[in-house]
Amino acid sequence: MPATFAGQTVILAFFEACGWLHASEEEYRALRAELRGLGAILVIVSHDGLWSFRPDDDLERCVPRDDLDLAQLDALRERYRVRAGVPSFFIIDGQSILRGSRQLPADAPPSIAMLVSALSAAGRAVVTPARDFSVSRREVVLSSLLAVFAMALVNACGGTREAAPPRVSSAPGGASGTELDVTLNINGQTRQLRLEPRVSLLDALRERCGLTGTKKGCDHGQCGACTVLIDGRRVHACLTLAVMARGKITTIEGLARGEQLHPMQAAFVECDGLQCGYCTPGQIMSAVGLLREGHAKTDDEVREEMSGNICRCGAYSNIVSAIQLARGKGVPA
Amino acid sequence: MIPFGYTRPADEAAALQAGSTTGVAFIAGGTGMVDLMRLGVEAPGTLVDLNAMPWTKIEMTSDGGLSVGALVKNTDLAWHPAVRERYRVLSEALLAGASPQLRNMATVGGNLLQRTRCAYFRDVGVSACNKRTPGSGCAALDGGFVRMHAVLGGSEHCIALHPSDMCVALVALDAVVHVRGPRGDRSVPVGDFHVAPGAHPEVESVLARGELVTGVSLPPAPFAARSAYVKVRDRASYAFALASAAAGLHLEGQVIRDARVALGGVATKPWRSNEAEQLLRGQPMSRAVFERAAAAAMKDARTRPGNEFKVPLAQRVLVRALERAGGIA
Repeated sequence: MPATFAGQTVILAFFEACGWLHASEEEYRALRAELRGLGAILVIVSHDGLWSFRPDDDLERCVPRDDLDLAQLDALRERYRVRAGVPSFFIIDGQSILRGSRQLPADAPPSIAMLVSALSAAGRAVVTPARDFSVSRREVVLSSLLAVFAMALVNACGGTREAAPPRVSSAPGGASGTELDVTLNINGQTRQLRLEPRVSLLDALRERCGLTGTKKGCDHGQCGACTVLIDGRRVHACLTLAVMARGKITTIEGLARGEQLHPMQAAFVECDGLQCGYCTPGQIMSAVGLLREGHAKTDDEVREEMSGNICRCGAYSNIVSAIQLARGKGVPA
Repeated sequence: MIPFGYTRPADEAAALQAGSTTGVAFIAGGTGMVDLMRLGVEAPGTLVDLNAMPWTKIEMTSDGGLSVGALVKNTDLAWHPAVRERYRVLSEALLAGASPQLRNMATVGGNLLQRTRCAYFRDVGVSACNKRTPGSGCAALDGGFVRMHAVLGGSEHCIALHPSDMCVALVALDAVVHVRGPRGDRSVPVGDFHVAPGAHPEVESVLARGELVTGVSLPPAPFAARSAYVKVRDRASYAFALASAAAGLHLEGQVIRDARVALGGVATKPWRSNEAEQLLRGQPMSRAVFERAAAAAMKDARTRPGNEFKVPLAQRVLVRALERAGGIA
């Protein structure tokens, strides 16, 4: 097992049986190519044992079946809601952030080709988040646990354990570019990140927490696409340095209660308060903040108080209608 | 954005200590600083975050005025009942500025130190700018985006507009800026706080290196009760002023006993017009009186091809503000 794990992307796969991995050279080549593209190593957890696969090495069984703690494996499966018989994998980037998860079809026996095509789609999704590759809040919260688990697995594989990179000081006056420990409370969940001071809250949400509902428009506080609530007040995530963010952050992902839309979201749907939808998360967060502030009642006042949110499609009139509808229904702030 | 260090001092002593070294910039709301850092206009080695400072209160003073901490958000100041009732011009100016999101972030101290929106100042790597790079020249003098250039208070080195709405109201209200530095505390009338560019456009206020704005006080003033802010922009909302005016009138019947007049969107600093105030004192309120005062306020204007409109526009905006302050509009 090669030495380095720190800083590398890991595909952590839960597959019932690993025997199917004995595939043709051609299939292995395709798998290697996908792993190279992702800059990742593959770690497979199965009842058959623990396997690792790097693009430049052969598939190897690191931990044989007899040494696996099957009860622990089952507990992990349950914890991560990996259903028995449904092959699935998680992508954990070098920063220990979960970038996505995916299930393989459970109705056909899994094949290398299936894994390759899923990895390929996942790789594209990591670069350009796709609708079918969303990371739920639950998954994001699990990411650090998964990363720790993956680390332990890889280390257990007999790899030379490399010392973790030295933790640079987070003392006041830290040198330029020094990463700092940042704790963010996002949608009720506590996130621990290590970030350079120049990372905006917007980039931290999108790139590090997988919360891509908050959009980047102008990145200069002029368009409102990045609007989030901090302690209930609407602010620009693009002009907020993550290291400076205090308080409870609410993003568009934090509005709905399970499958039930927030009344403001429902009002936007009902009034068709959008066209392309790119500005919509910011519009909705801003509208929730507006109602909480309680200064806007007439349509003109709503327009004035929504002036920080630009809509290129010009859905303004329906946005005003949606806000007035939600206001009339007494939307909770 | 280039890498930088970050520190969040826990108290004023630590903040002053952190601010005493070179290459340091203070940050509070971040709406100006982060924007300018992303553009490359600002490139501090270390950011000193002031948000742990205790300057967050709006309080009545014993003389009947108002004391406002430097970290008070624009939103909180604008909607404060005492400001709404007794310093109406300030509330209106704040709400005419920026957007709700920005007002929720921006602080009083930061707004006092807001940098210009001059397109050439922000155009790093292309345009010459004496304010950004002293001695490099001034691309604004050659024309271009003249709508947002100053016609009052400029020099041959810089004609960058001061963009703040809040400061225009503060100037009209005789506000006082409270400053704390390594050598102690001092108070500066806001009218003396900002400086016109002259030969040194890079110097925008009397604040010395390492000094911090801790707050602003508003004296009780008879002209504050009848006051108004009028702003004209290229769009209905959320834009910088083409011209704006803050006006306050102390009336005895229909006679103007005292007046305050300040202009925004036309000058290199928040522009108090003593000439206009002088013309108003002792006069009965009328449109003719207001128009004479407005003409006096703009008589020193130096326009450039393309922004001549700012003179009559500012005059009309001022007349409108005076009429609203006097309750006759």
